[in-house]
Amino acid sequence: MSEESFGPPEMMAVALARLLRNGETVFHGVASPLPMVATLLAKRLHAPDLVYLSIAGGVDASPSRLPASTVDPVLLEGARATVTLAELFDLSARGRLDVAFLSGVQIDGRGRVNMSAIGPFARPTVRLPGGAGSALLMPTAKRVLLWRAKHDPRVFVDELDFVTAAGNVERVVTPLCVFRRAEDRLVVETIHPGVSPDVVRVETGFPVEVGSKTPVTAPPTPEELAVLEELDPGRVRASEF
Amino acid sequence: MIDKQTTLAEAIGAIPDGATAALGGNTLHRAPCAAVHEIVRQGKRGLNLVKTAGAYDVDLLCAAGCASAVSAGFVGYETPFGLAPAYRRGVETGTVEAREHVCASVIAGLRAASQGVPFMPLAGMDGSDLQAARGFARIADPYGGPSVVAIPAIAPDVAILHVQQADRSGNARIDGTRFEDVLMAQAARRVIVTAEEVVDAVEPAAVAIPGFLVNAVVEVPGGASPCSCAGVYAYDAEALKAWTAAARTPEGARAYIEDRILAVAGVGVGA
Repeated sequence: MSEESFGPPEMMAVALARLLRNGETVFHGVASPLPMVATLLAKRLHAPDLVYLSIAGGVDASPSRLPASTVDPVLLEGARATVTLAELFDLSARGRLDVAFLSGVQIDGRGRVNMSAIGPFARPTVRLPGGAGSALLMPTAKRVLLWRAKHDPRVFVDELDFVTAAGNVERVVTPLCVFRRAEDRLVVETIHPGVSPDVVRVETGFPVEVGSKTPVTAPPTPEELAVLEELDPGRVRASEF
Repeated sequence: MIDKQTTLAEAIGAIPDGATAALGGNTLHRAPCAAVHEIVRQGKRGLNLVKTAGAYDVDLLCAAGCASAVSAGFVGYETPFGLAPAYRRGVETGTVEAREHVCASVIAGLRAASQGVPFMPLAGMDGSDLQAARGFARIADPYGGPSVVAIPAIAPDVAILHVQQADRSGNARIDGTRFEDVLMAQAARRVIVTAEEVVDAVEPAAVAIPGFLVNAVVEVPGGASPCSCAGVYAYDAEALKAWTAAARTPEGARAYIEDRILAVAGVGVGA
């Protein structure tokens, strides 16, 4: 497989997978195709003993196919045990969940998210789906990884219309870059291959320092791409784009 | 054994306007859709829906004018079908109140009701505007620890749950993920179970909801469709696509409801 044979879905899935460590408990909720792919990818690569938890309730599921809905019963296939969503929230609440994947319709420069409303909360211009578990998980999970398949100034905003959740965000992975949170600010850690620093600056609604000296995200290796393709031949990883 | 088997029309008929109704399942999976269709046919009004994460069920009840409030952590069709258009429109035009929760605070409220206490402390929520927007109080730990958010009890007037199998007295088996169904059955004042099949006896070890908590049992094969029912059928992508496309406008939603729901007689054994 040539080095050019990847796009944003592959770069994001691989970048997210690399952030997971062997032995960690890792959870994703509804509407989370990229985290599902990334978690299963990490298990097949460097983190075989990672404990894969999802809203579907499976513990270490090994689904025969990857579903578009990340609550799908197929995410119980091959599971070693099942747990309820209440038990998963409890795990995080008592400080025992290592990683939670979350997202935001809007994400600000502190890594806080809005999943609730554009405009006034009581009578919004746009009612959003709601933050699901994020207001519990973001302050209680040890590490929160945000992802969003769209990177523009309407997503990465200077000011949120509403703070649905805030907390232990460690990194944010987008189609353009990886942000790391340091001293309560998101800073660009790496830019993905082929992305210009100017594009990151223009597409981010809060101030970021980015330039020719900003490190480039290591491109997906042939092994990472091969395992990803074997895991996700139906390209569920691209469904959010 | 008390025989609680009835028709969908009768079971749903007992729900008063203005009731707080908990709906089982989660997003596209094992939602009690046949019961929801019957609620639409009976023209219920003013329902407050309770669910951690809803999709078609919540969206349809908003479109049909049955719901006036939604207490949920998430309402949307996930990646395959996007936002819930009728729910959105209802909240944006003021006909539906979004009582946004954290999924975990829906669970906390149901737990409080199931345990007979007025509220349940909940970890987290630090830095979230939901505390103020929803009026969730933060209370001191009487024993000197950190403060916690107190989620008021959620005691649904009725829980409506669709399961794979039940017996006539309401012992219900749930295959696959149980979501909040068991908790809803414990917290609610009345419980309606629709089942893919009603059998003489459910294997006791497989019973998720004991029959003494259940008031009505209705046999409804396909009762979760167009959502999935684990082990029986997957979600119906075509139907969900057709609905979410139609629901983009009030006229489209009305036409869909008239053609696909009101025109269809209620189902259920004996109906």
